[in-house]
Amino acid sequence: MALSARPDQGRIDTWKYGAVLTAGLVALWAVLRVTEPTRVAAVQNFFLIFGSLLIEAMPFILLGAVVSAAIEVFVPQSIFERLALLPKPLQLPVSGLAGAAFPVCECGSVPVARRLLAKGLTPAAAVTFMLAAPILNPVVLASTAVAYRGRDIFWPMLLGRAGLGLLCAMGVGWVMSDETRQKLLRPRNDQGEDHSHQHESKSQAFFGHLSGDFVFMGRFLVIGAIVAAALQTFVPQSVIGSVAGTPVVDLLAMMALAFVLSLCSESDAFVAASFVQFGVGAQLAFLVFGPMVDTKLGILYSATFRKGFFRTVVIVVATMTLVGTLWIEVLVG
Amino acid sequence: MSSDVQTIQSVHRHVHKASKSLSPARVLATLALAAWGGLFWFLLLSDRVALYLSSRTAWVVPVGAVILSIAVIGRVFTLRVEHAEPLDRRAVAGIGLIMVPVVIVLALPPASLTSYAASRRSSFSSGGLAASAEDISSGELSLADVAGGLRSKEGMQALVARAGSDVTFTGFVTREPGQPADEFVLTRFMISCCVADALGVQVRVVGAPPGQLAEDQWVRVAGKMYPLGREVIVDASAVTVVPKPKRPYLNP
Repeated sequence: MALSARPDQGRIDTWKYGAVLTAGLVALWAVLRVTEPTRVAAVQNFFLIFGSLLIEAMPFILLGAVVSAAIEVFVPQSIFERLALLPKPLQLPVSGLAGAAFPVCECGSVPVARRLLAKGLTPAAAVTFMLAAPILNPVVLASTAVAYRGRDIFWPMLLGRAGLGLLCAMGVGWVMSDETRQKLLRPRNDQGEDHSHQHESKSQAFFGHLSGDFVFMGRFLVIGAIVAAALQTFVPQSVIGSVAGTPVVDLLAMMALAFVLSLCSESDAFVAASFVQFGVGAQLAFLVFGPMVDTKLGILYSATFRKGFFRTVVIVVATMTLVGTLWIEVLVG
Repeated sequence: MSSDVQTIQSVHRHVHKASKSLSPARVLATLALAAWGGLFWFLLLSDRVALYLSSRTAWVVPVGAVILSIAVIGRVFTLRVEHAEPLDRRAVAGIGLIMVPVVIVLALPPASLTSYAASRRSSFSSGGLAASAEDISSGELSLADVAGGLRSKEGMQALVARAGSDVTFTGFVTREPGQPADEFVLTRFMISCCVADALGVQVRVVGAPPGQLAEDQWVRVAGKMYPLGREVIVDASAVTVVPKPKRPYLNP
């Protein structure tokens, strides 16, 4: 009796959940149409930034999910196990430089790194790849070159961004080298769907993993976009301007601004180049710190990795960026 | 013997086929993919991509639309399973959260950044994605050239060399406290990837018809351009009210 009652209960719950979801979305649509909240300038600003961040970032999450699903289904696990046998001093720079072959921004590299880790790559190598890819990929370096073309700080910015970015990624990877993948990865509450592809064809499993990764990462990207849009709307950028030229504080301020703005690494160089009142070190701090640590990435990291991972990334990347940019300021002036 | 085996296999297949049912978790995930795919197709067909992205990054919308459409078709064939995956409140909330932005973009009227954004971003509106000094020194002057002038010493020198040139700029009206009635600031945003990285380009317009232009009103200003210190002034000969352009943001 109890056995037959359970599926019925599940069916009722499914209908209930489906009805609540549909009603909620329809109600939201009706409220927005009737009240037109965008008549208030700040609200309109918030929704524009929120929408544009997601419309730009969601396809990158999707591309990351495509690559991640392809790795899961088509690349044999033995390859990653062999890579894991490489000596650690070699693993870190190799996985960091491998990011140069992955031309998507930071949102796409998180699902790929998660999949690489699950497939047998060491935590140090997977994390190094994840953090280096958004800075070292050719699209990002090309946009940095365009943004600083004709400026006397062209080479310090381009080489400084690539070099310091790689060092920071390797630094976090080194700190993570004693972790196990079981301890580092946070279990997903959609594991049921993610692991139920054994009896399906490769193409069916591919679409299953793609869908799972998109839905999992997508929801956290939405939360990150809400936070980033709210900060961009309600915190005026002028609060940062007052510390331009104050040693060390200007570097920290630009890192904080990169965290708040949550820009795509393919566009952030254009914004950094406009901060003409800040020196080369502060602009570089913005460009190195932002692609590794920002509000939307904080949400994505926290959902993908165990508690404490995000804190470690912030501490290591902030410290290395600060020290590195101070040196570059001393050398370049 | 062999026919017995075939009969047993056939019964087995039949039982397996009969016990398959729709997986609610997969149906919902497919709906989320379809919602986002639908949004991307809508943006493409209604020509609204330029309200969110620059021409540099607009390719992500058709790519997203096509991949999502293929993903939906691929997923539809695996909606029926023998053992449906568990569906709990948290999973449904997650799917709902992904669909919320789709509803928001579809429900709200098309819009672009206004003077509110100009006031929040004004400190850094010196345009990192602007024209070079070489571009400024020849051809018709644009707001990208103005941004180039504000960006570097060489750019400003090139702009100064063209002081008194005739210009025609299109943008929206923003006002500053204490500004004379016949003056306003003409603003246009430049975006490199998306609206989140928008940088304002501004010129001060003098000699405008007093009291006729509301804030955020889109106008075309014709007149003579004069760089002055760290700003550019346009002595207006004509200010015409125009509808908001289909592409309200300048792109690099």
